[in-house]
Amino acid sequence: MDIDGFLRDPLSRRRFFRMAGVSTGAGGAAAFLAACGDGTTTPAVVTGPDESDQADVEILNGVLDLELMAIAAYKTAAGRMRGSVLEIGKLLLAQEQEHADALIAAVEEAGGRPNRAKASYDFPRMRSQQDALRFALQLENTAIAAYIDALPKFSRGALRATAASIITSEAEHAAVLLDALGMEPAPEAFVTGRTS
Amino acid sequence: MTEAIAIADGGADTAQIAAFERDRRDLLRRGFALGGAAIAASSIPLLLSVRNAFAQATGDAAILERAITLERVTALAYGTAIGGGLLSPPVLRTVRRLRGHEQAHADALVTALTDLGGIAPAPPQGPADIEKVVKGLGDTRSQADVLSFAIELETAVVAAYHDAHAELVETRLLQTAASIMGSEGQHLAVLRMAAGIDPVAKAFETGAG
Repeated sequence: MDIDGFLRDPLSRRRFFRMAGVSTGAGGAAAFLAACGDGTTTPAVVTGPDESDQADVEILNGVLDLELMAIAAYKTAAGRMRGSVLEIGKLLLAQEQEHADALIAAVEEAGGRPNRAKASYDFPRMRSQQDALRFALQLENTAIAAYIDALPKFSRGALRATAASIITSEAEHAAVLLDALGMEPAPEAFVTGRTS
Repeated sequence: MTEAIAIADGGADTAQIAAFERDRRDLLRRGFALGGAAIAASSIPLLLSVRNAFAQATGDAAILERAITLERVTALAYGTAIGGGLLSPPVLRTVRRLRGHEQAHADALVTALTDLGGIAPAPPQGPADIEKVVKGLGDTRSQADVLSFAIELETAVVAAYHDAHAELVETRLLQTAASIMGSEGQHLAVLRMAAGIDPVAKAFETGAG
């Protein structure tokens, strides 16, 4: 897959995330659609907290799929990174792993079975450090959009607060990647992760 | 659970990936710095804690009122720093941008509060109003001081939004708050880079510590 096409075309991204096994079941569906750049599926009206642990598990597994993919992506992207950019890549990988570990723990705490990483991912081919940074940035934005879509659906305040702390971490990652790309690191007042 | 992921992409240097994986946990232990020494925490007398800025607020409208005040105070503090003559041109441009973001946050929150039938609190007017929320800006004597102040201020704002996520109810407010908290996180990253310290120190940005 050509990375320029991937970054340009929401339909390509949708196919990619489906192939990558991102959950599309109940809780994961909205995160999946948000990840593809579709309009939000979140109702605009007040939605009371769903006490169901099962619902939380499905949502958690949806974002866990994205974290697991991001971990694999950073490992792949590392092959195109050098010097200080490689150091940044290592740090962001370590933090994605921490996010995944926390989500796995949350799924297990809710009595669910955490999703596993796929054996392989068919990532777009990265031919340069620039490609690696652009792909990483797209995945960070994807994760931000998915978490923002998922956050209000969690039944417990603690889960919402944890999701917010991860969104903020991913936003910081995006800032660092933008800076490494020579772009404005804090371009917008509202970080939604949605890119056209 | 997630170790030993096989990578299908043939463009990757697998030996480097293996080394990368070996480094990962060591990296966590050693910490990471992009360069430069960390500025000592609170190198200036700093800040009433706004960690619990929203803690006494109950209900979405009350949380919004406090958030509006916090955003406006932050914008005002940046405005004061801009006029203080301590910032280099690049940092000045950054702080101007951040002030614009804070104002945009405040405007969005005022709209949200109005939609709920609330009335926005009176805007802060000057240093005395800033001092009610955060202290230390008047003691800054260098760009490093201003950056340290701003980092602690943004950290406190992140903490307030983090706590608010456990309390807010309405879906769109939660999502707006999350997008603002993400923005404050980017501010932190930018300010830390300007100060020469690690821009992404923690995997969970809660505003704690």
